[in-house]
Amino acid sequence: MQGLFALSGSVTSLAIILIIIFLFKEGLGLFRSSQIEKGYVLAVNVSNPVGALDSRQIKEIFDYAYTNWAEIGGKDAEIIPFRFEEIFSIYDETELGNDYELLPGKLGELIASEPNILAFLPERYAPKENADVRILPLRTISPRSFFGGIEWMPTATPAAQFGVFPLIMGTLWVSFFAILIALPLGLGVAIYLSELADERMRKLLKPAIELLAGIPSVVYGFFGLVVLVPLIQRALNLPVGETALAGSLILAIMALPTIITIAEDAMRATPKAMREASLALGATHWQTIYRVIVPYASSGIMAAVVLGIGRAIGETMAVLMVTGNAAVMPRSMFESVRTIPATIAAELGEAPSGGTHYQSLFLLGCILFLITMVVSISAEIISKQPINKGL
Amino acid sequence: MIETKHIDFYYGAFHALKDVSIRIEPHTVTAFIGPSGCGKSTFLRLFNRMNDLIDGVRLTGECIVDGVNIYNKSVQVDDLRKKVGMVFQKPNPFPKSIFENVAYGLRVNDVQNKAFITQRVEESLKSAALWEEVKDKLKKSAFELSGGQQQRLCIARALAVSPSILLMDEPASALDPISTSKIEELIHVLKQEYTIVIVTHNMQQAARVSDRTGFFMLGELVEYSDTKKMFLNPEKVETQNYITGRFG
Repeated sequence: MQGLFALSGSVTSLAIILIIIFLFKEGLGLFRSSQIEKGYVLAVNVSNPVGALDSRQIKEIFDYAYTNWAEIGGKDAEIIPFRFEEIFSIYDETELGNDYELLPGKLGELIASEPNILAFLPERYAPKENADVRILPLRTISPRSFFGGIEWMPTATPAAQFGVFPLIMGTLWVSFFAILIALPLGLGVAIYLSELADERMRKLLKPAIELLAGIPSVVYGFFGLVVLVPLIQRALNLPVGETALAGSLILAIMALPTIITIAEDAMRATPKAMREASLALGATHWQTIYRVIVPYASSGIMAAVVLGIGRAIGETMAVLMVTGNAAVMPRSMFESVRTIPATIAAELGEAPSGGTHYQSLFLLGCILFLITMVVSISAEIISKQPINKGL
Repeated sequence: MIETKHIDFYYGAFHALKDVSIRIEPHTVTAFIGPSGCGKSTFLRLFNRMNDLIDGVRLTGECIVDGVNIYNKSVQVDDLRKKVGMVFQKPNPFPKSIFENVAYGLRVNDVQNKAFITQRVEESLKSAALWEEVKDKLKKSAFELSGGQQQRLCIARALAVSPSILLMDEPASALDPISTSKIEELIHVLKQEYTIVIVTHNMQQAARVSDRTGFFMLGELVEYSDTKKMFLNPEKVETQNYITGRFG
């Protein structure tokens, strides 16, 4: 019997470790992937001295944001971006041979004749033997462009942009304001329930609040979408109601039951002797609450806050439904933001398995895992702190 | 001075104190003794209205402290409790430093003057015979003190707000004999300045520290007289039985 329990315990731990390994293995594969689409190469005229380009430069060139080679360290000449498909508007299909066997030759001629071209080609048709054509060396996606990049365009061609910074900031932004709203409110309700409400009121309110924790998040999201979003839009006269504010409000509502329940338990656990000692010295009820009970319960209250944050950071569905999901750096509460969990939920279904997009979503999962792990570890440390510290 | 007139007290339907009338003179030590559940602690807790914290209690009769019925509507409970200090059965220092524990009563009284607080803390710790032991570690947590030291800290904490009356609810019952004797010595000294009312389980302690003793049984004040007389020559047979250890 004992062996059975030991077995189930070790199987569970093993499964968790395997999941984490899988997550990181898939995610870190991104940094071994090429910066441009798989099976493609970039080619230039042999006279062009330019070296390897980074994925942001490639994207900007094909978006016509960089128009001169001098901007990326080349000679002073206009960049002519060339996408492989354009060949079909220059040559008729019949001129390229039955099996496109003439295609590499034609591409080679084109690149040889145009010294300022940057051509994006499938590797199998690349004119590698042509002496006038140079295939650019390709880099892998760098961690710096991943963590520091501010553009999230995982399906852009030729070079997808995996800048997760706006997503990390979006997650932290929405969670931060959620806690800013939920903390004073939750603490207030916890104080009311543990110190001020009479027994009948408490017996009525506590189960009601605990019931809130059991509502599925998609229902919160639905409520947010139907009630909160239009309300915010009208009240603040915004172009759209799907904003960071809506996400923070929904998350605050969702984090409240956790914060209230744990903080209230912590305050009720303050020994009767502490209250009596304070009151017997002539302190009023309020003085006793903020000078003795709240400090005494502070580690429990901190644990409540951290668990509330944990809930807010990992929440997916409700946030996905109300924040508008624009992957831009958050600048105010009244604009759309996109969070990490929402990105994973929204995009994983469309990402081809094993591709860079797919890997990048796994890496986002790793980041989320690390953030929530930090949160849980700090909750653990804080709640184990002896109560007489820091007073 | 404390005086009660025909006090009846109920916890819900339970009649905990029955027609108790008593007079306690200033600068005396008065001990309440009696078997568990006799109402002696309940009676003590009337004088600073600690029983108000319990739901469903009811009181009739008068409880007069310094000429005022403290159960009048006009009496502010927190003002009363500054005048009537209390020390509890178990040492209950706050999870704060030694200094902050003693300063607590002043701080909740909105005393801002730092020099005054420092002086008051020192005086109170001296009055509680704790100063020499803690003067070098005032910033340390009160929890680092021994049980006996903690209890003297609680006494210092109560003295810091300059009460005139000090209530002690079995102050030595959780302490070892040495700490107990220190507390008892302290009571002897403190009675010069304070009126002390002490509840105790320990009859020898009552005999040692008090001037007058009240014996409670089943909610009634059976006998109340000078301590010497009570222990040498009690009037009532119940008292006689209790102090000779025949029951209780």
